[in-house]
Amino acid sequence: MNIGIPRALLYFDYFPMWQTFLNYLGFSIIISPPTTKDILNIGVSLCVDDACLPVKLFHGHVAYLKEKVDVIFVPRLVSVAPGEFICPKFIGLPEMIKNSIENLPPLLIFNYNLYKGIRDKKDAFDDLGRQLGVSSSHVDRAYKEAISRQYIYEAMIESGQNPLAILHPKEKWDKLDYSKGVIGIIAHPYLVCDRYISMDIAKKIRDKGYDVRISANVPQTIRENNLETMPKRLFWSYGRNLLGSGIEWLKGNEVDGIIFLSSFGCGIDSFIEELIRRYNARQLRLPYAVFTIDEHSGQAGFDTRLEAFLDMLEWRCKDGYNFSPYGYDVYSSKSSIR
Amino acid sequence: MVITFPHMGTMYIPVKALFDELGINIVIPPRISKRTLEVGLKCCPEMACLPLKVTIGNYVESIKRGADTIVLSGSCGPCRFGYYGVVQKEILRDLGYDVEIVILDPPREGIKEFWERVKKITGNSPLYKGLRAINKAFKVCEETERLLKLVLQKRCREVYKGDTDRTFNRFEDKIRSVKGAQGILECIQETRKQLENIKVDNNKKPIKVGLVGEIYTIIEPYVNLNIEKRLGDMGVEVHREMSVDGWVKYHLAPDIKFRRKQKQILESSKDYLGLCIGGHAWETVAHTLNYSREGMDGIIQILPFGCMPEIVAESILPTIAKEECIPIMTLVVDELTGEAGYQTRLEAFVDLLHLERSRRENEFGKVLSWN
Repeated sequence: MNIGIPRALLYFDYFPMWQTFLNYLGFSIIISPPTTKDILNIGVSLCVDDACLPVKLFHGHVAYLKEKVDVIFVPRLVSVAPGEFICPKFIGLPEMIKNSIENLPPLLIFNYNLYKGIRDKKDAFDDLGRQLGVSSSHVDRAYKEAISRQYIYEAMIESGQNPLAILHPKEKWDKLDYSKGVIGIIAHPYLVCDRYISMDIAKKIRDKGYDVRISANVPQTIRENNLETMPKRLFWSYGRNLLGSGIEWLKGNEVDGIIFLSSFGCGIDSFIEELIRRYNARQLRLPYAVFTIDEHSGQAGFDTRLEAFLDMLEWRCKDGYNFSPYGYDVYSSKSSIR
Repeated sequence: MVITFPHMGTMYIPVKALFDELGINIVIPPRISKRTLEVGLKCCPEMACLPLKVTIGNYVESIKRGADTIVLSGSCGPCRFGYYGVVQKEILRDLGYDVEIVILDPPREGIKEFWERVKKITGNSPLYKGLRAINKAFKVCEETERLLKLVLQKRCREVYKGDTDRTFNRFEDKIRSVKGAQGILECIQETRKQLENIKVDNNKKPIKVGLVGEIYTIIEPYVNLNIEKRLGDMGVEVHREMSVDGWVKYHLAPDIKFRRKQKQILESSKDYLGLCIGGHAWETVAHTLNYSREGMDGIIQILPFGCMPEIVAESILPTIAKEECIPIMTLVVDELTGEAGYQTRLEAFVDLLHLERSRRENEFGKVLSWN
């Protein structure tokens, strides 16, 4: 039996786990190809208008797979850590898919919910095994294998590697021999790791001579520590990743500039971006830019903004903080406003 | 300490009763207007949902009238509402308003903290007094909701157009100056009598429309461009399950009967959506199904632009429309919603419902589908 896995959304976070589990049980996997314009267009035409770009893209990948595989794997990750949630759209993802796309093959729904406690982790795999009709002893062994593989994957990302480089060994993401600085990209993995919809932002920055770090590269313990100071517990796992890494970078030791890559209509980003921007404006004032992408984003405008941002970064290195303050004469330092 | 709170329809009436009974000074924010929204638009994140922008406007207008503490309820679900308090505090701080925000999270997030926050509001008043105040406020809440339901029934049947609205507007003007739960209850009773005396056409069989969607946009008339009045004036009977009263009953008061009924309704929609995904998406789907089985002529879903849970519901509703043969329209509102276009869509929808009904009456027995 061929199981199709869409190369979108949670693929970039959990693929090694799913792959190991399914392969161990003897199923073959077909992954949809990297995003192309056609896949995106199909997704946009199938999905409701108000959804965000990554969800539309997921629809496109499912539509691509639907005639090529026997079963499509659709994750429903309600919660990946106790007391936390993922975005509501992810929780309702199987329903969205079912009601938007016609003539679907059966869906293999992976119900993963750790809201009540970490002990529920295995339930999701047991359920998956039941849907596939595999004996439970088999599932146990595959589960152990899958978890350890996922653990290694996460450790590799935290050590500074790009998820793309791990998933596709052909891609080269070595540390640059000579770099002008480091730029932190605050973004969901499913945005920054998809080279088509992120307009290949990471590679473009590297080509300009800057090293790139993404949110997932900041170790989880550090992220969690940074969030201790929040007045209220943040309950989105993805939000925690973004804000935790953002606060770490705002300390100013690790990166020279921050880019917030967000997709139009992303509910979580709208809040996290607001918080990071306000924190940044109050203290260090690192160079900071927000790039919002959607299905209409043009390559040229995006590139121009990126280049302008990098130019600004260079000028700041040259000029330091010697800006003339607003309203004051540079030479006599007397107020020029009457 | 002077307390203020965000607006949500007529929620200010029970809240006023509660604080009046506790003897705490409050500022009721002025009615939401264009100016309220403009304050929010200037300082809120562009992509945030509409309620965040409107409520910020409420706070600023109240602070200018002397409020120094903001009370709002919280949640820890996946919906963005749960993090309103934190983001709004940062925004107010940058605007230069030094106010305290007390977020009342559900007690399961930490009973001790919940208690401390309640104490911060109530001060040192004894427990029995607090309980009595809550009890009275709850009564006011129920009565207000009954009044609103009566308005919905009367508006579409009234003989002289505008009678109902005139009575209700007078009530809203009066209620702000009444003090204490008892006074408010009397005021409600009085209005109730007036409403019952309104001359109505009892032979009329109005088109019935169910409202579903995100709770704030359904309840707050400014945000949904007063859809209840618009539909009522077209002679449409509006039904709406979502209410402040229902929210209180479901989340705060131990009303087991009500809860069981709600649970039953939710369970019935298992084929379409079988779990809570935050906000009111599950309720939207369940109520839609329930309404279509109760014999509504049509259903309107309202959501603020970018509402995460409702988008999921929005993608499920077309399937229900097809399978249950019921017209469903989705209206997305935000700060740019134009009145004319909105009205046109409503009129077109109501026209279609009339057509559908007359066809059903003429060709009785034939199966008609919406699509």
